[in-house]
Amino acid sequence: MSGRRGGNRIRGPQSALTDFLAANNISAAQIRDEYERRLREAGQDENAGEGASNATPQQATATPSAVDTAEEVAEEEEEKTKKRKRSQKEAIDKIKKAKASKKPKKKGKGGGSDDDDDDYDDDFATDMYKKAKPMPGQFEHCEICSKRFTVTPYSKEGPEGGLLCTPCGKELAKEQKQEKKAASKPAGRRRRKLESDRLDGIASGGAKSLMQLCIEKVAKHHEDVEELGDIPPTVLEKLSEIFSKKRVMKSRTLRLFLRPDLQSVIVHDAAYLELEDYRQMFAIVPNMRRLVLANACQMKDEAVEYMIERCHKLQHLQLYAANLITNDMWAGLFQEMGQELEVVKLKWLDASFEDHSVREMVQCCPRLERVKLKLCRRIGEDAVAALAELPNLKHLSLQIGRPVPTDVLCSLVVQRGAALRTLSLEKFLDADDSILQAVHDNCNVLSKFRFCENDTATDAGYTALFTNWRNPALTFVDINSTRDVDNNNPEGPEEAIGIASPGFRALMAHSGSAIKHLDIASCRHIELSAFMDVFNGAQTYPMLEHINVSFCNRVDTSVVVGIFKSCPALKKLVAFGCFDVQDVVVPRDCVVIGIPRAADAIEQFGVGIGVDEAIGRMVEVGA
Amino acid sequence: MSSELTDYVTLVSSDGFSFVVQRSCACISGAIKRMLDPAYGFTESRTNTCRFENMSGAVLEKVCEYFYYKEKYQDAKDAPDMDFPLELALELLIAADYLDV
Repeated sequence: MSGRRGGNRIRGPQSALTDFLAANNISAAQIRDEYERRLREAGQDENAGEGASNATPQQATATPSAVDTAEEVAEEEEEKTKKRKRSQKEAIDKIKKAKASKKPKKKGKGGGSDDDDDDYDDDFATDMYKKAKPMPGQFEHCEICSKRFTVTPYSKEGPEGGLLCTPCGKELAKEQKQEKKAASKPAGRRRRKLESDRLDGIASGGAKSLMQLCIEKVAKHHEDVEELGDIPPTVLEKLSEIFSKKRVMKSRTLRLFLRPDLQSVIVHDAAYLELEDYRQMFAIVPNMRRLVLANACQMKDEAVEYMIERCHKLQHLQLYAANLITNDMWAGLFQEMGQELEVVKLKWLDASFEDHSVREMVQCCPRLERVKLKLCRRIGEDAVAALAELPNLKHLSLQIGRPVPTDVLCSLVVQRGAALRTLSLEKFLDADDSILQAVHDNCNVLSKFRFCENDTATDAGYTALFTNWRNPALTFVDINSTRDVDNNNPEGPEEAIGIASPGFRALMAHSGSAIKHLDIASCRHIELSAFMDVFNGAQTYPMLEHINVSFCNRVDTSVVVGIFKSCPALKKLVAFGCFDVQDVVVPRDCVVIGIPRAADAIEQFGVGIGVDEAIGRMVEVGA
Repeated sequence: MSSELTDYVTLVSSDGFSFVVQRSCACISGAIKRMLDPAYGFTESRTNTCRFENMSGAVLEKVCEYFYYKEKYQDAKDAPDMDFPLELALELLIAADYLDV
């Protein structure tokens, strides 16, 4: 449209003479006069459209005396050039729009509509007052490169207010775009990203580690990386993690992580990998001892067959969501590879893997030391009973959806307890005090104990477990969500279900010297007095790094202060839903997450102040 | 040689470039810190010079830059990420692993 309008003035190639005259600016005066006349006409046209007969004050000031004559001419010509004038006005309109890009687009194709006429007038007048700009079709010298060019409705305005030639205009637009991008990103998104990183444990105050920076850089440019070279396996694992996190672990990138000398293949997101990729994996790294494939949803029987054929040294097998593997293949896998296997971790299996598969595993894998079975939908009681027969079991982690009778679980603990280093029982809702008693009686080398999401075991059971226990102090305790939830009884039962004050005191008395990780989230019955006694500042827990007291609603600010004092090694305190905690000042090297009334962030991070100073400041705030 | 700790230490790359940096910065790296600790009695702690046969000058320069960057943003809440050329990323990665930074 504007092209056609421009055509009113630029009619094809010009004669050499016209070109020459124009090039030498011979008709400069005439050009200017004409220009001013046209501007004026356009202004009058606007007023006419508005219904106002008189020129506005802006216009009066904007048109210098030299225009007086032009005005007469304009009046004469007005009628016969009505049509042309209209298109000129539109062109002006257009060029102005192009220049003042900050103005929102509101003008219709048919020129200024009534509602924005005032606006138009204003801008128009000031524009004209500032500097007379050439019309589309005329020549102008570019403000930046000083080259001559033809003005079009699209010509951009330079930093000084002049017009720019097309190449310079493009450059400028590009720069502006980049600036906009750079300026818009920091505020919101960067801060959220930073908090997310901290919650992930990547960033911990101050600058990121050089390793982290490099890993992020490599992951960002994963498409350009040809090979990773002789990177140490630990770094390779970290890279693999971040590749999975960014969902770029595909056929091409997988190759980067396959090296014949490697002893492990670790892919935390194998969702994109297909049969061919699995073949490649087992072909290139036949000596792998450790295989971790999460989201292995495309891993089929053929892939497993090939693995059985190629990898004879596999000791550690960890598969999540490998639902295309049939029961027969599971059995075959354990029969063929069982002699070597020491670790089996399986999660999220719901299409196959039955109780008899577990039995097969127990029979074929005498060396199994570590077993984790979580969210495998088809296994239940029989599987638990079968696991009790594993002679070398040292680490056990179970989460089973189907109900498992307490006595079966108990007999497992009784039979294997003596050798267990770690025991994790999640969501065994019906497990009662007898399990805790079995742990107390049988386990004596346990270092990690998880018993969460249970609403049957009572505080007396926990107290008994942690009192006079032969087992040395635990380093990891997770007994979160051990409580009874009943909508008809929101205050909770009279007799405490789940760990309560005496149990908590007993736990910390037993394990306080070695405990590193303590999770007592949603343990509703622990009273303020118990927290105050345990974290009293005098008693210290030298190893304790990570505490989760979320939804322990008795926790208040003084408990948090006590935690800071009593735990010199504290790195992270999680306290969602502790509504009595206010105005915490966090000491150096420590992260506090989830304080509900934190003014600026969910997560608070200690900078540059020690525990004493932090506590001092808290007292000031409180006073 | 000198028994007291100097303020500056020298880091030398495999191709002979040497970088004189503040001791406090260099000790951000756990590896360098141990090298320079007189308690361990390594040669490095007596000469206050660390040679890195596995790092080129370009990499070591970036590492030094990182030390200063890290110290500058030690207590900052949101530090901007340091930038470096992509082609150095993998070598830097290995260096970072080695130096424990």
